Amino acid sequence: MRDALAHKGRTALAVATLVVGLVAAGALLDTWALVRRATVETYLGSHPVSATLKVEGLDAGMVDAVRGLPEVAAVRARRVAIASVDAGGGELTAQLFALADFGQRGIGEVEGVGGAWPPADGEVAIEKSSLAFSQAGVGDTLAVRAGTGPRRPLRVSGVAHDVGLAPGWMDHVVYGFVTPKTMALLGLPEAFGELQLVARDANASRDEVRAIAAKARGAIEQRGGRVSEVDVPVPGRHVHAAQMDSMLLTQGAFAAMTLLVCALLVVNMMAAILASQAREIAVMKSLGARWGQVAAMYLAFAAALGLAASALSLPVAVGIGRWYAALRGEMLNFPTAPFAIPAWTLAIQVAVGALLPVAATAALVARACRMPVAAVLRDPGIVAGDDFFVRRSAALGFLPRPLGLALGNALRKRRRMLLTIAALAAGGTVYLAAHNLRAAVLDSVDAMFAWQRYDFVARMAEAQPATALEERAASVPGVERAEAWVALRAQAAPEGSAPGYGFALLGVPPGSAVLKPAMVSGRWLDRSDARVIVVSRELARDLPGDEVELVVSGLRSTWKVAGVIDVPGQPLAYAPRASLAALRGDDRAGLVAVGLAQRAPAGELAAILQVREALEGAGMRVASTTSLREGRHAIEDHLVMVVDFLGAMAWAMIAVGGLGMASTMGLAVLERTREIGVMRALGASHLAILGLVEAEGCVIALLGWAVSLPLSLPVSGALAYAFGQVMFPVPARYLPEAAGAASWLALVLAVALAACAWPALRATRVTAARALAYA
Amino acid sequence: MIRLRAVRKDYRSPAGAFHALDDVDLEVGRGEFVAVVGRSGSGKSTLLNLLAGIDRPSAGEIVVNDAPLAGLTERALSAWRSRSVGIVFQFLQLLPTLTAAENVMLPMDFGGRWPARERERRATALLERLDVRDQAAKLPGALSGGQQQRVAVARALANEPAVVLADEPTGNLDSHNARSLLELLAQLAREGQTVVMVTHDAAAEQYATRTVRIDDGRIVA
Repeated sequence: MRDALAHKGRTALAVATLVVGLVAAGALLDTWALVRRATVETYLGSHPVSATLKVEGLDAGMVDAVRGLPEVAAVRARRVAIASVDAGGGELTAQLFALADFGQRGIGEVEGVGGAWPPADGEVAIEKSSLAFSQAGVGDTLAVRAGTGPRRPLRVSGVAHDVGLAPGWMDHVVYGFVTPKTMALLGLPEAFGELQLVARDANASRDEVRAIAAKARGAIEQRGGRVSEVDVPVPGRHVHAAQMDSMLLTQGAFAAMTLLVCALLVVNMMAAILASQAREIAVMKSLGARWGQVAAMYLAFAAALGLAASALSLPVAVGIGRWYAALRGEMLNFPTAPFAIPAWTLAIQVAVGALLPVAATAALVARACRMPVAAVLRDPGIVAGDDFFVRRSAALGFLPRPLGLALGNALRKRRRMLLTIAALAAGGTVYLAAHNLRAAVLDSVDAMFAWQRYDFVARMAEAQPATALEERAASVPGVERAEAWVALRAQAAPEGSAPGYGFALLGVPPGSAVLKPAMVSGRWLDRSDARVIVVSRELARDLPGDEVELVVSGLRSTWKVAGVIDVPGQPLAYAPRASLAALRGDDRAGLVAVGLAQRAPAGELAAILQVREALEGAGMRVASTTSLREGRHAIEDHLVMVVDFLGAMAWAMIAVGGLGMASTMGLAVLERTREIGVMRALGASHLAILGLVEAEGCVIALLGWAVSLPLSLPVSGALAYAFGQVMFPVPARYLPEAAGAASWLALVLAVALAACAWPALRATRVTAARALAYA
Repeated sequence: MIRLRAVRKDYRSPAGAFHALDDVDLEVGRGEFVAVVGRSGSGKSTLLNLLAGIDRPSAGEIVVNDAPLAGLTERALSAWRSRSVGIVFQFLQLLPTLTAAENVMLPMDFGGRWPARERERRATALLERLDVRDQAAKLPGALSGGQQQRVAVARALANEPAVVLADEPTGNLDSHNARSLLELLAQLAREGQTVVMVTHDAAAEQYATRTVRIDDGRIVA
């Protein structure tokens, strides 16, 4: 303990290193525990909807019939409508929900969290996750337009919270709750179009819920209703849960790694203490102490360090854990603030803090305390090394002498050097892997959007003749191309079965100038194609084969799958527009994709307004417009956030590496005080001594950098694989991304220079006389 | 070459002040080989440290090779040492990760007096002169005690210093190597270098041109 006080800097570094590791791991544990508690108590507590059925002609009798099913705990009817709201001189996509009873409990509960709740007729309550995005506040008036209806001013009556919705800010959608009468005011049908149910068995599997949904569908169809689509989400899983879990799992693994590296650095420090106190240990043993008694003393010291680190790290970890949990809660759209971090997580952190240094140093302490007394007392102290590595470094005579000396010095305490290199390399590996993953994700998003050569899509309030729509949009100055698309819903329906789960089906011109996809397999649509579709990778997984029976607009037909492409988001298929027109006997289109001559963000809004004006001038009402750029941002927001969190973990590991290096170099300077003194006596200037210590740090940093490059290969591959499994496929980048490798090199050198600054300054303060007196 | 006037050196400790040197006056001319002798703790090593500028006097004036040391900062002292003084340490103070030749080149690196390409040639010549040229590429750990001491002398001569200071240079050598080293130091003095050697070896005094005896921090003879 006196040694710890005598070498305050070294002790402080060891504690600081442990603190960083404990904070990283503790914060993640706290986050996980807090989010888990909030998930159970908030999300599951809201009784999330088990299944949603789209029903034509839904009436109260059908709702009651489903409610009467023994497997069903709760039922409600609702209408969902896509609309647009004016905000900030532009137009945002909105999704409006009308419920019969906003106060209904036991099914997808929605709470009022500000202003008035529920909204009255002519009012809208905004979902709290999209309030900031909507740029509106309680009491403001929003201009809302849906379908062919008129633009209506709706007063924002309050703020609602629906934990079952993905955050509006993330999906770039304004979610709003309105009454059925308000829907009518907007020109929409007042009747409900969806039936939602909650299964009685809270632990029912997805297949079991699907079976319940099929029963409900039977009950509805028996009463004359027509179910066009059934949606059964994974039971009990929030829409963003997979992202969150994968993120936390990856970060947890890296946090554990950080903690391990911290433990190794504590081993470094303990090794130095034991080496400097070898004689004291021998003397104690010669006075009758058993090795176990001496070892217990040092292990108690290690535990005390760990407890001190725990005491310091615990409040920081709790603070970061709460903050991070709140952020994750925001991504999941439920609050974590009302919940306390479970006490068991705090107990684990204290226990790990106290036991980790003990476990890490136990073998080292035992070995040092079992050294024969005579051997230790014969030890003349610091001796000149003459081993293989030092001889090899001496052979590198072509290096400038200070660099050669620094290299030789770095090689003298190899275990210590290797641990420091390992700490830096671990941080660098995660840094590079995160960098690679980020680049891979952005490349994939680029590739995903590169083939969509348009700038925005205008959704028409009602379908318009395709050719007229294209001609009108193309007549606007600055518009390079315009293509009308037919947007439908389709269901795969094997012969003899009822329609299954729905997907979006887009009818596009086969020789489309705005869609040039890279194929995952097969080919894109051809001008000669008739009943042919190209499907997204996600949809391809669900389809039974290359020939599929589809129900489109209530009509059954057989289609051939010609190819598979990567498309973000929902399951999707493309078909020749003419084939759909022939099938339905209707050549009208609901969408027009517009490509601008100048693809710059600045002019985009003006172009959108001009196109909208031109279309509306021709009597073609535009319901909403969606910018491709905006869509891309929405996807990037989701993906890059995950990668950036991973990058944050790399920073924690790099910090640990830096602290480890500071500790290593501090010990090195202490041990070489005599050598430094000799050099001072030989005329070495302050700068020469400073440079020597810094160069040694840089040598270690460079080795850490070099080791991290190959290590990042498998880690990058594993991360890309894990990311692709839960989010969307990204190609693994095995070679370190050049910019990442370069920035990591600059970073690790900066860390080394900073970490060595204090030891180097201490070295320059060593006077020759003190050094030569140092024993 | 060396002049000390009323030099005093005190060390303070919790046990009280200790006078390591008290009112020391000394002059040493060019080409002299001075042996400083005395009992342990008499102040010999303190005197040597003051001459080397690696410690500072509590009072008095020290001029070595025309440089008044009191006015020099630590940085300036380092530069001065590399030009003017060569030191042979008592213990094995060769840097263990540098070869014998590199140890000799190191003061040249610090001093910057010789162009980089000249340093290796000079180091080889010095090792040749001290009869350890064949050990040039070896690390100190691979050398015998006598060889290490010769390399240490070569290192002390690396920058052609006007003054060579040796602290118990024969303390760890056998009698044969000790004699050889003392002859070498005497030869350096004959060639014009000033040599001050601290020793408690009576035999070593025979090689010196003058003996200075210190007792309780004072020069007594």
